[in-house]
Amino acid sequence: MGQRKKVGAVKTSSSENDTGEASKVSPKHNICMVSDFFYPNMGGVESHIYQLSQCLIEKGHKVVIATHAYGRRKGVRYLTNGLKVYYLPLQVMYNQSTATTCFHSLPLLRCVFVRERITVVHAHSSFSAMAHDALFHAKTMGLNTVFTDHSLFGFADVSSVLTNKLLTVSLCDTNHIVCVSYTSKENTVLRAALNPEIVSVIPNAVDPTDFTPDPSQRPTDRITIVVISRLVYRKGIDLLGGIIPELCLKHPDLHFLIGGEGPKRIVLEEVREKYQLHDRVRLLGALEHKDVRGVLVQGHIFLNTSLTEAFCMAIVEGASCGLQVVSTRVGGIPEVLPEDLITLCEPTVSSLCKGLEKVIAKQRSGSFPSPNSTHARVKNLYTWRNVAERTEKVYDRVAGEEVLPLEKRLWRLRSHCGPVAGSIFAFVAVLDFLFLLLLQWLVPDRHMDFAVDATGPNGLWVKKRQKSEPGC
Amino acid sequence: MGPDGVPSQSVPWRKVLWERQPFPDNYVDQRFLEELRRNEGIRQYRYWAVVKEAGFVGQQLSCVAIFITLWLYMEQGLLSPETLLWTSLSCALPGYGLYQVLTAQTESCSESRTHLADSQSAVLFLSFTFGFSPVLKTLTESVSTDTVYAMSALMLLAHLLSFPYAHPSPPGSLSLNAALFASVCLASRLPGALHTFAMLTCALLVFALWPCLLQRLRENAPGHFTGACVGVCVGGVGGLGSQSPGGAMLLSLALVSVTLICPLLLVSLQRHKDNIQGPWDEAEIQEDLSRFLH
Amino acid sequence: MEDESFCNISGKPISLDCQSHSSFCREFTVSTPKISIGKVMVYTCSVWLFAYTVFFFTQNTAVLSSAILITLVGMMLHIHFVKVDHESLLVIGSLGIQVSSSYASGREVTTFIEMSKIKDIVINEAVYLHQIIYYLCVLLRDPSEPHGVSSVVTLFQSSKPRLNCLVKIYKSCQEILSTCK
Repeated sequence: MGQRKKVGAVKTSSSENDTGEASKVSPKHNICMVSDFFYPNMGGVESHIYQLSQCLIEKGHKVVIATHAYGRRKGVRYLTNGLKVYYLPLQVMYNQSTATTCFHSLPLLRCVFVRERITVVHAHSSFSAMAHDALFHAKTMGLNTVFTDHSLFGFADVSSVLTNKLLTVSLCDTNHIVCVSYTSKENTVLRAALNPEIVSVIPNAVDPTDFTPDPSQRPTDRITIVVISRLVYRKGIDLLGGIIPELCLKHPDLHFLIGGEGPKRIVLEEVREKYQLHDRVRLLGALEHKDVRGVLVQGHIFLNTSLTEAFCMAIVEGASCGLQVVSTRVGGIPEVLPEDLITLCEPTVSSLCKGLEKVIAKQRSGSFPSPNSTHARVKNLYTWRNVAERTEKVYDRVAGEEVLPLEKRLWRLRSHCGPVAGSIFAFVAVLDFLFLLLLQWLVPDRHMDFAVDATGPNGLWVKKRQKSEPGC
Repeated sequence: MGPDGVPSQSVPWRKVLWERQPFPDNYVDQRFLEELRRNEGIRQYRYWAVVKEAGFVGQQLSCVAIFITLWLYMEQGLLSPETLLWTSLSCALPGYGLYQVLTAQTESCSESRTHLADSQSAVLFLSFTFGFSPVLKTLTESVSTDTVYAMSALMLLAHLLSFPYAHPSPPGSLSLNAALFASVCLASRLPGALHTFAMLTCALLVFALWPCLLQRLRENAPGHFTGACVGVCVGGVGGLGSQSPGGAMLLSLALVSVTLICPLLLVSLQRHKDNIQGPWDEAEIQEDLSRFLH
Repeated sequence: MEDESFCNISGKPISLDCQSHSSFCREFTVSTPKISIGKVMVYTCSVWLFAYTVFFFTQNTAVLSSAILITLVGMMLHIHFVKVDHESLLVIGSLGIQVSSSYASGREVTTFIEMSKIKDIVINEAVYLHQIIYYLCVLLRDPSEPHGVSSVVTLFQSSKPRLNCLVKIYKSCQEILSTCK
């Protein structure tokens, strides 16, 4: 990561035309993923972007990622397989999300889109201001746009009313939207008042090779419940604080293994203190992604107490390691695993305890299938290759669609987002267009060097790799 | 399985992700949004019930008007401080008795304060106010009268806005402080120290003690509560009318709009309420989890 | 000896002059166009007009004399410290690299990097103001740590040639560097 690469000895003439011989099979796209959230920040969106990009590169597309600068990590970096990342110097405002003025990011994003000859802009996460900015500018520049929503939102409070309005504005002329579960699709369609036909459901994926079972790691004299999540309110840690004493009093051989960090850690520590459970409830603190498997394989049961969740990768990871999953029935969780691999409960202490007791009883009687057979079932459910294939189809569809010209876009904004917000953002769209004209006058496209492709049909790294060996 | 594949209708669509289904990714089934629920657990308002509740707001508005009327009388010398003090006392004592009666109806006296404590705080307040009234009288001498009036108006407005209409007993600290601040400002413009003392005592009665009594009335004698509200409103309009007819007009307009028109608006807009709930909502923790901690 | 014309990143024409002194010694000179007299006139006139407007309202003659002084000193500073006439890169295999830039006033700044300190010459990308540009740079290494890069020296920093020009220089440099290693 962060390795600088020399791009000197290149055949610039060959990289000039981007529709090479590969266009016969299926069109190759030049994709720019934009999100505020990318490595070195850690999280679900970050790994989604990385894994999806890697698999798209493997399929022969050109992928670059644009994010904001993280500390001293600014400029251009190359990751594995020539995945090019632009860390643009934009001001971070809150929670790793950039400030938005609708305009200031245009010069740099335009530069990225032009020099990389981008055809599809794929923005991620509705929390990312940079993603919305990029969608806005891409439409101004006449590029096709795709948006992936990773989160669920309510409708009741003031903040969600405002963010939903912004989402409506941002998505009303976006070509295609991707959601990670059917519940998330319903949510996004309602929030942004979209036509459901332009919303695809493509679930997240888990790398099954990272999450293999290892029954030898399980202690035989006790039953261990594993919880891996950030310790915050939305993950239902308060419920966990009620479950622990309830079950520990009934089952003296029950142990809890809790990975993750957050403000609700104090709740768990208080419970542990009050009921003297120091030897039975272990708080492991923040875990790195590579250590997660090592914790998972030590347990018998995986518990998820989330209060809201669009997809929940954690339960798939748990099931992939051969654990029995107990989870709350919220958001998209009921869609994720088949009924015999998961026990769904209501988000109450009593319901979760009942569900856990049932699973504990079955575990004692040994009536569960072996971890390896569970792993074999789960490992092919969600793969990144499948995600990339389905995303590719979205790109193919989007590439054939027209990008609304300015007057139609203004009309769409006015008719779709209400008279007030629609008019304001139509005005902003006009300003953005004028700003683009100014930039095109100051630095014409022909004065910008096309970047040397690292990935895609003429990618230098791809050719280099083809010589050695292929792999994702 | 990309968007716009060929859907075959032989197998029904299921809302699951773990199974590869022969439908395109952007397939919209008839069951789309079937878990959407609208306006669940919504409260249906009845007009007169809302008017009754809004009467409390009107009543508080009138209280401010009554207070200002009293101050106007005092300032013009039409009302002597002694008269006001005696009237206040003669109102306070029956009011206190009524309060005790109403409290005794609901709860045992074990928790409530003793009469001794009540009289102690009354004596303490009265003696301190009396002692400090010369100081309070000269407190705003260096400030121009216009500023004092503007400040009082602002503070009375703040009192009305921040008054906890849902649970007025005891009045919220911000609203009570704003009202007392306004009364100190106004009282300092009166001719004598005794005037100031009388005005402040009256302010305490109107802004601190009266809401407590009214809350008891609302809880235990709803019929009388309505009567009291109407009485205060009529008193406010009438009192203000004797000093400034224009002010009385404005007050009655405000009262009508607050107690009659606003509830009408609320009830009629209720039809347009469109609250959507579904599986994406964040689950709420219903149980009391503190029993595990304490 | 050849003289080619290229563009810099803002679209201004520049010329690249490659001189091959011998098989292991080459010199690259990138020249930018001279200051045009029109531009000097425009700047001078605008400063003087502004000064005259101020003078018109204040009736203070010091404004006029200071305007003359500002233009004179400004021009001198500009040609002495800012305006680079040409930048050259002299690569001598086995010996090292000499980087020099001559200012319009004739002042010349020259640095020499010996071969033992040079790790490589590469083309890199950077965010420059509101653009993303390619630039040529020399990677330096610490003799004690032969595999790491201790610092970077940017070449042709003021003329900023575009990629096709950089590639040409890069290829020539690599030919020499590869023979002497």
